[in-house]
Amino acid sequence: MINKKGIHAAFIALAMAGSFMTAAPAFAAGTLTVSSPQDPGSWDPVDTFLVNWASVATNIYDGLTYRGPDLKLVPGLATAWEELDGGKRLRFTLREGVKFHNGEPFNAEAVKFTFDRLLGEEGSKGPQKSNYAVIEKVEIVDEKTVDLVLKTPDPVLLTKLAGYGAMIVPPKYIQEKGEDYFNAHPVGTGPFKFVSYEPKVGIKLEAFADHWGGAPKLSNLNYRFIAEPATAVAELQAGRVDLVIPPTIPIGMIPTIQGDSNLEIVSSAGPTVYALRFNTRDGITKDPKVRKALILGVDRDTIIQSILAGQADPIASFQGKLSFGFDPAMKPLPYDPEQAKALLKEAGVAPGASVQIDVRGNDATFNEVVQAIASYLQLIGINATIKPYETNVLLNDIIPAGKTGALFQQSWGGWTLDYDNTAYSMYHSGEKWNPYDKDAELDKLLESQRSITDQAKREEILKQIANYAADRSLEMPLYNLNAIFGVSKRVKNFTPVPDSRLRLTDVTVE
Amino acid sequence: MAGFLIKRFLQAVFVVFVVTLTVSYAIRFTGDPALMLAQGAGSVTEADLVRIREGLGLNQPFLAQYADFITGMFRLDFGRSFMGGTPVSQLIASALPATMLLAFASLIVSIAISIPLGIRAAVARGKWADQTIRILSLVGLSFPNFWLAIMLVLLFSIVLKWLPPSGMDGFASFIMPALTMGIILTATNVRLVRTAMLETLQSQYIMVARAKGLSESKVLYKHALRNCAIPLITYFGLQFGGLLGGIVVVELVFNWPGMGTLAFDAVASRDYPVLQAVITVLSLMIVFVNLLVDIAYGLVDPRIRTE
Repeated sequence: MINKKGIHAAFIALAMAGSFMTAAPAFAAGTLTVSSPQDPGSWDPVDTFLVNWASVATNIYDGLTYRGPDLKLVPGLATAWEELDGGKRLRFTLREGVKFHNGEPFNAEAVKFTFDRLLGEEGSKGPQKSNYAVIEKVEIVDEKTVDLVLKTPDPVLLTKLAGYGAMIVPPKYIQEKGEDYFNAHPVGTGPFKFVSYEPKVGIKLEAFADHWGGAPKLSNLNYRFIAEPATAVAELQAGRVDLVIPPTIPIGMIPTIQGDSNLEIVSSAGPTVYALRFNTRDGITKDPKVRKALILGVDRDTIIQSILAGQADPIASFQGKLSFGFDPAMKPLPYDPEQAKALLKEAGVAPGASVQIDVRGNDATFNEVVQAIASYLQLIGINATIKPYETNVLLNDIIPAGKTGALFQQSWGGWTLDYDNTAYSMYHSGEKWNPYDKDAELDKLLESQRSITDQAKREEILKQIANYAADRSLEMPLYNLNAIFGVSKRVKNFTPVPDSRLRLTDVTVE
Repeated sequence: MAGFLIKRFLQAVFVVFVVTLTVSYAIRFTGDPALMLAQGAGSVTEADLVRIREGLGLNQPFLAQYADFITGMFRLDFGRSFMGGTPVSQLIASALPATMLLAFASLIVSIAISIPLGIRAAVARGKWADQTIRILSLVGLSFPNFWLAIMLVLLFSIVLKWLPPSGMDGFASFIMPALTMGIILTATNVRLVRTAMLETLQSQYIMVARAKGLSESKVLYKHALRNCAIPLITYFGLQFGGLLGGIVVVELVFNWPGMGTLAFDAVASRDYPVLQAVITVLSLMIVFVNLLVDIAYGLVDPRIRTE
């Protein structure tokens, strides 16, 4: 009896004592192979803004905050935070007992080092710095408390701390090994640690049993870079890849995957929204009535069902339903060619008037969509010609210089899924993406929400902006495209993410 | 001879110079890498773009950038990739062998198919075997290689599950890419072998060999093939250079980690240093092979030397 008790106690003591016990990967088994379309070339958080960086690196690094597939902001490396000085100072309480993969402790120093590096010389070489430019400096209060001092309050910053440039990096490791080494041998505090990286071929990770959130259920995570969709799908069909992540699978390949009994398509609303924006400065689209008529004249639901295989949601403003600032009360304008014709007549536009639609030539699916749009416009007496451009030319030269046709393609989406970013870039006077419109009232609304940290109030203003833009018919909102994953049925417990920030801790394989 | 060598060498240097200058200049018209990097970064200000361009060294005038590139080249330093800063020489060092191996394997496949077929066609000149082979080679010529590649993948990887659909991972992974490239090359090579054989078969020594009562295979492979081997080898050698350039699509479909994939990615992301380096290395190799051929000819035929 006594003996038994003793053994029992010894077990408990052992279990509590060694972190290696809890870490013992009793369930950690199996390798998941992921096909990703692009090699970002460096795993350093300050270097990149490719979403496919995040689909790997979200497993290697942690941020102060964390945002999962449900888009709720939860504690990450910080267990709590508070706003001070009217939102100009954010105070973070740091999680204790956290270690980097190399054994280095995570503490206030690491946080300061991370942001000093991002905002300093090293960060200046990359595209990440500007997203965090609102941070003036980092002050260490004590070992476990850190303040971010801001130039102005920034309501989106807490979200930004959950991804990309704000991932916490190990100071000693980088100082000792150097920047180049770190690019190719990343170390973080995340649930998987780096094993090997072969440029243009793949990267391999393995479970980090000591992760503060518990060990992941997989033992190994391999990524292969496969750019060609047909190849990625063939690998999936051959059973050599378990998961193909977006943006890889084009709409046209969905039936191939659905037709294979070992595979399935899993999708989630994505960050990218599509619209045809109007030249509101010249020509017939200067008249809001004409703009509204063109929107009414296009049957967008049918386009989504027939061309996009239903893998998109219709939108009423230039944002999807996951976006902060989305107004569920707003409904897309109906398809009503009769009202469209009446409006055109009212505006004095004679049948046979012509418009030009500028699109990105390399976007095959969108080219089909725009063909359909042109035919719908034909039915209400508008002759649309489609002008495809090389993407870079359209983005660099045509749109910013205000040299587009009456309508032009804009596809947009940021991982923060906050309407502020979209609305400000699209509608504020003088912005690169807004060559035509100047609206003082809209400018004021856009500016006002940037300094408010009361999220409920800010959401109200963002909704107001969306409604205002829709009332003026500033664009023809089309749809919010799904993020499409091709998944082998041996993968269990997989949740698709809208923003490519794929953390695969709960996934298992058979 | 020394004069001839110097002349040929100077010509080669000139060709490489013109190619690198053209490529470096032309690629700068295709778009702004800073914008590519910043895409999706939300509202990008002009100041951000300027900062990123400075980081990439794009604020320098073109000639200064080009001079950097050329001087670096002599130290085998091709700069760093705009995407993530990996040294370009490191990328090339892993991609070049992959491409060379694939090109070599393709050539072997092509030779193995085209020589017997070409000889068969020449022997059966005008008969149905000749016609069939010629039609097949026409079909082969007009095949888009990516289509052929996809069909092979469908058959051997998805239906039969014999071969891996992509990647470079052991012997099995070579079969389909080499077959695809090999079949495309075979289309031209069969005709070449056929023509060369036809000429040879009419020579008097072949008639003598046959008259001696030698077996037909001995006549064809020992006497005829040997005699037309020299022009064929020259052609295959030159083809090796051309292969390196034409391999992009096949590499892409089979996700082959070679120069083609590297170039494709570099174009897509406006990664100037990588694209410059890939094209320079490939053109250097082609020029080098041509130079060797020229020199070999010069050694053999004095008339070429004094031209």
